Amino acid sequence: MIHHHLSDEMILAYAAGSLSAGQAMVVACHLDICPACAARVAEAEVIGGALIADVEETAVSDDLFNQILVDVDEAQSFPEPERTGASASGDLSSSSYLDGRYVPRLLANMIGDDFAAVRWRTVGPGIRQFVLPVPSSEGEKVRLLKLSPGFVTPDHSHHGSELTLVLKGSFSDDTGRYRVGDIQDAEEDMHHQPMADTEEDCICLVCTDAPLEFKGVITRLLQPIIGI
Amino acid sequence: MTAGQLSAMLVALGEHHDRGAFRQLFDHFAPRLKSFYLKAGTNPQMAEELVQETFTQIWRKAHLYRPDKAAASTWIFTIARNQRIDRLRSEKSFVYKDEDFFASKLVSDEEQTTEVHRNELVERVSKAMALLPSNQAEIVSMAFYDEATHAEIAQKLSLPLGTVKSRMRLAFGRLRNILSEVEA
Ligand SMILES: [Zn+2]
Repeated sequence: MIHHHLSDEMILAYAAGSLSAGQAMVVACHLDICPACAARVAEAEVIGGALIADVEETAVSDDLFNQILVDVDEAQSFPEPERTGASASGDLSSSSYLDGRYVPRLLANMIGDDFAAVRWRTVGPGIRQFVLPVPSSEGEKVRLLKLSPGFVTPDHSHHGSELTLVLKGSFSDDTGRYRVGDIQDAEEDMHHQPMADTEEDCICLVCTDAPLEFKGVITRLLQPIIGI
Repeated sequence: MTAGQLSAMLVALGEHHDRGAFRQLFDHFAPRLKSFYLKAGTNPQMAEELVQETFTQIWRKAHLYRPDKAAASTWIFTIARNQRIDRLRSEKSFVYKDEDFFASKLVSDEEQTTEVHRNELVERVSKAMALLPSNQAEIVSMAFYDEATHAEIAQKLSLPLGTVKSRMRLAFGRLRNILSEVEA
């Protein structure tokens, strides 16, 4: 059961196609297991359709349609895409959601479906990361974070945003408890201290769009080492 | 042409590659899609190439279109958006390559929305869009046409990021109210 969903403005930006690559990836991974948010995206896409329906017309070349017919006749020899149907079922019983962990398809394409096989790098006591090869915009980074049980992230504030999707285990902060499938959009100026709150590791998919700024003096000293 | 007629033509295209329906869809949407791509900052030649590619996709994927799930304009928007990302913002094309995905997922929903509702919804959303306060409409169109991120919009309009987000929320909230009225 998912308790933390995407905000309206994230849904709208995803539908518009205007999120950065990293944010769009994290959002898509939530949509993959959240039919409620996927339905909201479909609603937001109605706006896109209405904008296209209402935009002014610009004349196209006379022969454009004929060129398209040539293209489709050529394409005729290729098979058409199949409906993805049942394989794309959005419920939590789908094969991508097993044993209390969730490996989104977009992520499985990059790392396979086994978190144990990921080449984790230790970035500090109790915290490991794997930076994903996502082509992202400047200052943006998409990574998997693995927090050991009881690990408390240093108290930090944000310059930019931090979008987090829980893939295994859970974490808690002032704003609530986040379990597998839940998403957190930590806004600019938000102040929080997430803690892995069960006996198991907490694995999250995280997109940050600016370096985090840690509050404490010690953690500020650690920051260049942790690199987050 | 009404939303219902456009839906019917997309269905005919999907069922038996009806060329007459394809031509009518082209006549209706191609000049609009050209404007859509021009607004994304392409030159006229590139815009026509994108229109050409979009219609090739429409031809190939029309059999996936479900009139009870989306109005024709909504479905064509998703194809066009993904085509734009594929060609102009390829760094995120891996996220948007499968526009059939959410549509097929929603098919399994128990949600009982009919085709008539879908088409009525588009018309009411269009009307509501025209009535949005200009500062909300501006932000929505920057997101959909210019593909500007929240941060870029904030910078261009010299607004705090929170203001941009709250205006987007308000605009979407308005749409969602209309949606629930239509579905009720
Ligand atoms: Zn959700």
